[in-house]
Amino acid sequence: MGRTTTRRLLVARVARAVGLLALAFVILWFPAAAPNPYILSAAVMVLNYAVLATSWNFVGGFTGYISLGHGALAGLGGYATGLLITKAGFSSFVALATAALVVAALAVPLGFAALRARGASFVIVSIALVLILLLVFQGWASLTGGSRGLVVPRPFPDLLRPEHHEVFYFLFAALLGLVLLSWWLVDRSRFGLGLKAIREDEDKAESLGIPTFAYKLVVFVVSALFTALAGGLYALWFGDLDPVFQFSILSGSYVVLMSLLGGVRHLFGPLLGAVVVGVALEYFKVAYGDTPLHLVASGLLLGVVVMFMPDGVIPTVAGLARRFLHPPEASIREVSAAELEEARR
Amino acid sequence: MSHARPVRSVETVDLTKAFGGVLALDHATVSFRPGKVNALIGPNGSGKTTYLNCITGMIKPDSGRVTYRGRDITGRPPHRIARAGLGRTFQLCRVFGRMTVLDNVLAAARGRPDVERARQWLRRVGIDHVEQVEARNLSYGQQKLLELAGVLMSDPETVLLDEPAGGVNPALIERIADLVRELNAEGKTFIIVEHNMDLVMSLSDHVVVFDRGRPIAEGPPDVIRSDERVLGAYLGV
Repeated sequence: MGRTTTRRLLVARVARAVGLLALAFVILWFPAAAPNPYILSAAVMVLNYAVLATSWNFVGGFTGYISLGHGALAGLGGYATGLLITKAGFSSFVALATAALVVAALAVPLGFAALRARGASFVIVSIALVLILLLVFQGWASLTGGSRGLVVPRPFPDLLRPEHHEVFYFLFAALLGLVLLSWWLVDRSRFGLGLKAIREDEDKAESLGIPTFAYKLVVFVVSALFTALAGGLYALWFGDLDPVFQFSILSGSYVVLMSLLGGVRHLFGPLLGAVVVGVALEYFKVAYGDTPLHLVASGLLLGVVVMFMPDGVIPTVAGLARRFLHPPEASIREVSAAELEEARR
Repeated sequence: MSHARPVRSVETVDLTKAFGGVLALDHATVSFRPGKVNALIGPNGSGKTTYLNCITGMIKPDSGRVTYRGRDITGRPPHRIARAGLGRTFQLCRVFGRMTVLDNVLAAARGRPDVERARQWLRRVGIDHVEQVEARNLSYGQQKLLELAGVLMSDPETVLLDEPAGGVNPALIERIADLVRELNAEGKTFIIVEHNMDLVMSLSDHVVVFDRGRPIAEGPPDVIRSDERVLGAYLGV
């Protein structure tokens, strides 16, 4: 390896460390700087989106399977948490952990059925999951409260609203840290290499001896676990669940939009996308109230991203920066016989 | 990597596969020679690739049996067959386009990814200088070599090559042929589907000729060359 390459690697590593520290600082400092409780609650929403998008990216980013059904997994996590508290008398955080494990267990048969379909068929199966669960949770009113909703008792009843937001802000931030760390570990592992091979060419991966179905199933269950944790934590924070919002294709689509926007091949892609889309959604809600304008805006945004930045914002911007900083080196050519001869010596 | 030379390699009995009304394989009974370079030839549409896909589990045969080293592997999932020691390449070269060359090879590793061993295979096929390049940016010839390095990384005892010389320049064909000879001398069995007759005749020890989904002749290259049934199948007589 040349000296310039080594130096470039060192610079990249330092830049990454500085970036990480800056990110951690901004996240920890934000509650103190938030001008009012509304802004803080919006930040909790954004962090919730960031956890959901990063959890989705275990399946979407590694294997390339685009699931629009992750909103439903979060909804299941929320309802399971709420029901364990109200019906089974669990304490809040025991209910949260148990609910996540229950959803992960449910994800085994769900994944077993859904992951047999590929490409567009998988997308449709994942949509069907959302719609079926919506009907079940609306219809089964004696258990779930149906359309009247389910009230989830707060874990800290003595806290005032701003403090409540602040506590959950840090809880979501901690969960985000855990999910990011897990994604990073998988990315560097042999397991992650196999998952990425599935994304590139599933049949080829299988022919090289990678048990593709088992890999997909495992990563789907991991993704469901984290998604359910986010859904459960949301239930504890928000305190009220309605099937229409918990089992909506829209919430699943937002998560996909965020991940694609930020870049699914990058650890921080979904987080960046969640910040951009989450802030935009909150802004549209405040500025335009109940008009469907935020739907039009997010639709346009998705179109622009897919057309002009199919790899997401991070890779596109990084690519541009690289082109400015280091003009392209000689492109790769067909190897000549002489070069092959040379290479063999 | 050396293997004890097995007594038997890939064998099929009455292997049959139809696609709609087209009989792609028609009771194909074949046995390949262990430790040798076997070639599978035949006119276009004679069922060679379907046969390869049935052996490697990519397609389930309608009837018949596939055994490898005496063990029945019919209908097993492809990854199990690969792990049993049968590695393959694809007709239209397939690599993991958005992964680096090195990761392409590492993805095929058994157990812990051994970077040094991956580099050895890249060096051996002659593309170690591009290990950090994304595979989609390689030339077609380099991708063929990369595919070969990946399969070899999975340490197969038998290697199935689907048209290794297809779309590749003459110098590279020679390089691939040399590699096959070297690896065969180290104990690997080869089953090669190929249209380039010069390559088949110079490289293989044993040739099986397919026509309309079944073998019509087999034997050493010089016998096959003058077999009238083979000439008939190729010339359409």
